[in-house]
Amino acid sequence: MKRVLVGLLALLGLALAQTTLRVGVLLPLSGVSSVSGKAALNGIQLAADQVNAGGKVKLELVTADDGTDPAKAVPALTKLMTVDKVDIVIGGLASGVTYALSGPIKQYKPLFLCIGAASSVVENAFSGYDQFFHYHPWDYHNVAAALDFFKSLYSQGARKVAILYEDGPFGSAGIKIYQEQLQKAGYAVQAEPFKTGSGNFTAILTRFKAFKPDILYWIGYDVDALPISTQVRQVGLAPKLVYGAPPSWPVGFDKNPLSSDVVGMTAWLPSVSNTESRKFSAAYKKQYGEITDEYMAPMGYTIVLSLAKAAEAAGSADKDKIAEALAKVRMDTPFGPLAFKPSDTGKTQYQGFDSSIWLQFQYLGGTRRPVFPKSVAARPLRYPGSY
Amino acid sequence: MRLVGLILGLVLVFPVFPLGRWQAFTLDTAQFAFIVTVLALSWDLLARTGQLSLAQGAFFGLGAYAAGLSAPALGTIGGLLLGAAVAALSSLLLGLATLRLQGIYFAIATLAFSEVMRTLVLKAEFTGGATGLPVAPAFGGSWVLGGYYLAAAVLVLGVLTSLWVGRSRLSYAQAAARQGEAVARVLGVAVVRVKLLSFLLSSALAGLAGGVYAMKTLFLSPYDAFGLGRAVEALVIPIFGGLYTTLGPLLGGLLLVALETWLRLEIKDGYLVVYGLILILAILFMPKGLVGLWRARGKTAKEDRNA
Amino acid sequence: MELLLQTLLNGVLAAGVYALVASGLALAVGVVGIVNFAHGEFLMIGAFVSYLLFAARGIDPLVSLGVAAVAVFLVGAISYYGLIRPVLSAPELNQMLLTFGLSVLLQNLALLLFGADTRVVSPPYQGATLSLGGLSFGVVPFAAFGLSLLILLGLYWFLGRTRLGFAVRAVAQNRLAPGLLGIETQQVYLLAFGLSAALAGIAGVMLSVMLYASPTVGFAYTLKAFAIVVMAGLGNLRGVLWAALALAMAEALVSTYVPGGGGWVEAVFFLVIFAVLTWRSWRRT
Repeated sequence: MKRVLVGLLALLGLALAQTTLRVGVLLPLSGVSSVSGKAALNGIQLAADQVNAGGKVKLELVTADDGTDPAKAVPALTKLMTVDKVDIVIGGLASGVTYALSGPIKQYKPLFLCIGAASSVVENAFSGYDQFFHYHPWDYHNVAAALDFFKSLYSQGARKVAILYEDGPFGSAGIKIYQEQLQKAGYAVQAEPFKTGSGNFTAILTRFKAFKPDILYWIGYDVDALPISTQVRQVGLAPKLVYGAPPSWPVGFDKNPLSSDVVGMTAWLPSVSNTESRKFSAAYKKQYGEITDEYMAPMGYTIVLSLAKAAEAAGSADKDKIAEALAKVRMDTPFGPLAFKPSDTGKTQYQGFDSSIWLQFQYLGGTRRPVFPKSVAARPLRYPGSY
Repeated sequence: MRLVGLILGLVLVFPVFPLGRWQAFTLDTAQFAFIVTVLALSWDLLARTGQLSLAQGAFFGLGAYAAGLSAPALGTIGGLLLGAAVAALSSLLLGLATLRLQGIYFAIATLAFSEVMRTLVLKAEFTGGATGLPVAPAFGGSWVLGGYYLAAAVLVLGVLTSLWVGRSRLSYAQAAARQGEAVARVLGVAVVRVKLLSFLLSSALAGLAGGVYAMKTLFLSPYDAFGLGRAVEALVIPIFGGLYTTLGPLLGGLLLVALETWLRLEIKDGYLVVYGLILILAILFMPKGLVGLWRARGKTAKEDRNA
Repeated sequence: MELLLQTLLNGVLAAGVYALVASGLALAVGVVGIVNFAHGEFLMIGAFVSYLLFAARGIDPLVSLGVAAVAVFLVGAISYYGLIRPVLSAPELNQMLLTFGLSVLLQNLALLLFGADTRVVSPPYQGATLSLGGLSFGVVPFAAFGLSLLILLGLYWFLGRTRLGFAVRAVAQNRLAPGLLGIETQQVYLLAFGLSAALAGIAGVMLSVMLYASPTVGFAYTLKAFAIVVMAGLGNLRGVLWAALALAMAEALVSTYVPGGGGWVEAVFFLVIFAVLTWRSWRRT
C-alpha cells in the first residue's frame, strides 16, 4: 500500500515537473518535395516518441501538409497558429514555400525551427526576426563544401567542368556563384539549363562532347539521375567524374549498375559512424522497419531532440525562455556537434549547421561510401571513374 | 440571381462571423478561394463564345508579375490595374493570332502560349528569373483585413462583370458564336469582335486575380504563377458548378476549395483520391453541374439565363 | 557534320516514344472522340507494372511489355465501360472533367500505394551503347524507336487493311452510319479506347527503362503528346508520326546548337506548335 502511494506520488511529481509543449509541424507531405518532407516527419515523430518516453518533456505534435505550394502553406500555417494555438513551429523545407511563410510568421511570431530552405533569399526574408532558428546550412555553405571537393579534384588534374542545372529555383539559385567560384579555382566552365523530369539529355550532352569536360556536374532532382547516367554513356561523353546534386536519389538507384562511380553530396549517410548517427539509425530501423537514406530524417530528429533539451533546460513551456535556452544548446547530433551562432552574413542570429556537415559520397559496389573530406572518407575516391 | 447576391453579401460580412479560433484560417483560405473563383469566372466568360482557353494560368501569371513588379511604384491599386492591363493586352495579341482556331486547336494554341510565356519570365532577368520575385503585401500590410477585402472586391467585380455580360446583348452574340460561327454570321453577329471582347474581359479579370494572389503569397516563381494546374482548375470549377452562368463558377469555386481544404484536414494522406472520385461522380450524376441540380428542382420557374 | 548527324539521330530516336504516346491519344480522340486527360496515368500504370515485376521477381522489362499492354488494355476497357460510355453523348467539356477526375484519382492512388519516390529498374542492357562511324547511341532508345515504329505500322495496317480496322475508321468518320451498316459502335469504341490505353502502357514500360517510374511520370509526356496530336490534326494518325518527328528534331537542334538552349526546349516545342496551328488556320480560306 505504502509502495503504491510512493509510486503515485512519484508519478505526480513527474507529471508536475513535466513540461508539455504543443509543436506545429508544417512539412511538404505532398507535391514536389514530399519525399524529403515525409522523411523529415518520420525523424520528427521518432524523436518525439523518444522524448515522450523519457518523461521529462511531453511533446504534442500537430502535423500539417504545406503541399510544396505557397497557396496551401500560408493557410496551413495560419491554422496551426490560430486554431491549434501552437507557439513553436518546425517546418520550412522548400525555399519558395518558406519565403512565402515569412510574412505570416512575422505576424504570428512563433518560435520557428527551420529544417531546410537553403536559399539566401530566405535568409534575407527572415533577417531581423529573432525567433528564427535555421538548422540547415545556407546555399553559400553548400557552394563552399562543393568547392572544397572541386579544389581537391583540381589537384588531381581536373580542369573542365560541364554543369547541367535544372531551370527551376532549386537548380538556378546558386548557379552564377558556382560558375564564378569554379572559374576562380582555375576551371573552364560550360553550363546548360534543362527542364527537370524531361529525361532528354542526349542533345545537351552531345553539345558538351566538343568541350570534353573532366567533370559532369548536374544539379537537378531524383527523376534526372538515371536518364543522365544512361545518356552520358550513350552519347559517349566519357567524363572522368559524374557529380550529382539532387535533394534525394531514386529508390533502388544504388543497386543499378549505372549508378556505379557516380558522386554526390549529402549531409548524412546511414553508414556515418558517430555515436548519435548509429543511435538514430538503430532507432529508425526499430520504429519503421527499414533504414532511410534521406538526410532530412536525422535533421528532423535533431531538431526535436534539441528542442526537448532546450525545454528541459528552460523548465518552462514559454517559447521565449525556450528560445533563450535553445540558443545555448550544445549537443552531439548524427551530423556532428550542434551549436547556434549568427550566420556568416550576420543577417540571422541562430544558424545551426554550416558547410562542415556536407560530405561527398560515391556509389561503389552498390552502396554509397563517403569519399571526401578525408576525415570521413571510408574509401578513396575512384577518379577517374568509368561511365 | 438572388443566390448570387446572398453569397456576395455573406462574403462581405464574413470577417465579423464569430468563428472563434478558426477565423484567421478561414479568412486565409477564403482569400485563395476568391482568387481561384475569379479565375474560374474569367474562364467562363470566354467559354461562352465556345472558346476553351488553357491560357488562363498565363494571364494570371502575367497579372501577378506585372502587379508585383509595379506595386512599389504605382501602389497596390495601380499595380493591380497595370497587371490587368498587361494581361488584357497580351490577350489581344493572342486573340488576334488565334482568331480562326476553334475547339481543341484553340485550347492547345493557348496552352502553347502559356508555356512560352512561362519560359520567357523564367529566362528574363528583371522578373527574378527562376529564383522568384518577392512581392510587398497589399497596402503595405498596414490594414489587417486589407488583403481579405481586396480579394473580396475583385470577386465582386468578377461576379458583376459576369452578370453584366450575361444580361447584355453581348450574351446573345456569345451564344450565337458558341452554336457555330456560320450561324452567328448569318444572324449578323460580328464574331471577331465578340470573341476579342470576351477574351479581353476574361484575361483582364484573370490578371487582376493574379495580382491579388501575388500580394497574398508575397512571392512569385514562374512554375507557380504560370502553373498549368491553375489553368486546369479554372476550367474544372465552371464545369463542376455549371457552365455559362455566374452562379455556377461562383458556387463551384467556393465549394470546391472548401471541399479540398476540408478533405486535406480530415483525410490527410491521399485526400486527392477522394477529390478525384467526387469530380467523377459529379459528372456522372449531375451533368449540368451544381446549377443544373438547382434548376431541376425549380423547373417551373422560367428559364433564367443568368442564374 | 558529325555533330549535325548525331543531333539528327538524337532527334529521330526521341521522336519514337513521342509518336507512340501520341498515337494512343490520337486513337482515343479520333475514334472515340474523347480528350483523355488520364492518358498519362495509363502510361504511369505501365511504368509501375514494369517496376513492380522487376523489383519483385526480377522480370525483364521486355517481358513486362506484353504484361503491361494487356493489363493497361483492361484498365482502359474498364474505364471505358464504367466511366466513358455513360458520358459519350455529354458535352465535350463534361467528358474532359471526367477524365481529369480519373487522372487525379489514379495519380493519387499511386501516390498512396507507392509514395512519391522515383523508382528505377535495372535490366543489364540499360546503358548499352552502339557506335557507328563516329555516331553513338543507346541500344534502348534505338530499340524503343524501332518497336514504336513497328507498333505504329501494325496499327496503320490494322486500320487500313482489316475488317475490324475498317469498322474503327468508319465509326471515327461517322457516328451514325456504322450502326446502319451493322457495325457495333460500342464494341469498336471499347476496342479503340483499350488499344489507346495499351499503347500508353507499352510506352510506360519503355519510359521505366529510359527514365524512371513515379506517380507523375506520365504528365510531361502527355502534355507534349496532346500538342502533337493536335498539330497533326485530329483523326490524322499518320500525321502524328511526322509531327512527332518535326518537334523532336526542333528540340534536338535547339539544345545542341543554341548556347543555353536546354532551357528553351519547351518554349521552342510549343512555339512550333503555336506557329503551325495559327499559320494553318490563316492559310485556309
